Amino acid sequence: MPVTFIRILGKKFVLQLKAFFLTMQEFFLFSVRTFMSFPKIIRYWRDVLDQATICGADSIPIVLVSAISIGALLAIEVGNLLEDFGAKTMLGRSTALTVIRELGPLLMGLMLSARFGSRNGAELGAMQISEQIDALRAFGTDPIAKLVMPRLVAALIMFLPLTALSDFAGLQSASYMAEHYHRIDPGIFWNAVYPRLVAKDFVVGFLKAPVFAVIITLVSSFNGFSARGGTAGVGRSTIKGIVVSSGLVLIANFYVSKIVLENM
Amino acid sequence: MIELRKVGLKYGDKEILKNVSLTVQDNTIKAILGPSGVGKSTILKLMLGLIKPNSGQVIVDGTDITGMKETSLYNIRRKMGMVFQGNALFDSLTISQNLGFFLRENMKLPEEEISRRVAEQIQFAGLEGYEEQLPESLSGGMRRRVAIGRALIFKPHMILFDEPTAGLDPVSSKKILSLISSLRHNNNLGAVIVTHIIDDVFNVADSVAVLYQGEIIFDDVTAKLQEAEHPFIRSILSDKILEL
Repeated sequence: MPVTFIRILGKKFVLQLKAFFLTMQEFFLFSVRTFMSFPKIIRYWRDVLDQATICGADSIPIVLVSAISIGALLAIEVGNLLEDFGAKTMLGRSTALTVIRELGPLLMGLMLSARFGSRNGAELGAMQISEQIDALRAFGTDPIAKLVMPRLVAALIMFLPLTALSDFAGLQSASYMAEHYHRIDPGIFWNAVYPRLVAKDFVVGFLKAPVFAVIITLVSSFNGFSARGGTAGVGRSTIKGIVVSSGLVLIANFYVSKIVLENM
Repeated sequence: MIELRKVGLKYGDKEILKNVSLTVQDNTIKAILGPSGVGKSTILKLMLGLIKPNSGQVIVDGTDITGMKETSLYNIRRKMGMVFQGNALFDSLTISQNLGFFLRENMKLPEEEISRRVAEQIQFAGLEGYEEQLPESLSGGMRRRVAIGRALIFKPHMILFDEPTAGLDPVSSKKILSLISSLRHNNNLGAVIVTHIIDDVFNVADSVAVLYQGEIIFDDVTAKLQEAEHPFIRSILSDKILEL
């Protein structure tokens, strides 16, 4: 009996492993086809602009809200900590490094994974189950060039200014809290920010934007294209897209920081 | 002409099609009859190259499309129009935008020509006055007619219908069937109709292939279906509508 149970478990594990590698293979081919369709950008420039509005302009409120709240919180907590060491004047520097290198891009990535990624997953998933994607193929249109490539190009373009906006908003709110909560003069705060920042800090932060753009767009779109099983299937694929892309954003955030900081 | 030669298809361990061979001649209407879930729609997708068989060949106008790359298939697919079971209309586009969508996408036609063809299809489908409506505001029969119009706007040689009357009321079904008949008589079009409704077959098809348990058990002119002795065919002839 236990031998049979172990055998069944083993067989199930092998099947799941096989399914995982097949999915990875499909995802790889999907990604290659998306990048290969970049030359069609001239044909689909209107779709790129539409997607840029969705992932760029329309995402500004959520990026601002998250950046402002985290900047303010960071200023309060780090300020309290620095006060214990009598180093409150270092608040600007520590906040700036944390926001520009890590929290600005990371929060933006997570917010866009939820907002832009979920939209991609749900929209493409609904198109998949209603056979609209098959219809595109049946009538001679490449669905990846028409639906995925514009999303990726738009994300690659728009994530950079959104990162800058997230950094700016986070620092402004930190400065505001420094002045009104910790009673630090804004001049002291900003003097600790500007002269201390070096190119490496911006490279770390801004390199994450295109990496996150690729992860969020490809993972959410792939899951949308893979949706099966009616409306419940769309829900499952959307959730899977958000969970996987958020996880990958967190992992990529760590590795980009590590690689750049070790090599610059 | 579309030809399937000894086509086999598996999804995982499940064998969907076994050694299926059938031919669809130009300017004829061929019906593929069978119960739901037997692989009828899969045959249409094979004909378009949307899925690839595990064995056998799919030949369209003398070209073997079985191993063809997706990009090469686009030119082949434009010879055929497809009407999906759920219509597959783009729900965020108006009726006229849906009709003109693929002309704008894939053919370098002047805007006047596109507008002319869209107007022609609107008139053909009897949808004057609905041009700027979204698909969701139309009835099932109207949506089906838009889907047929969208497939016809390319001026294809062959049109593939996936359950053209499924889910429609008897009046709409009759309209759709007479529209399909008129396509061959007025436009010289060939058609493949996948259906589980026997009356549809007798109303419009010149020949019929019956798919049962992944195999073609009958393939001949429609009139001869009455004489078939296979127990499954005898049972469906008495029931008229296959189990949904």
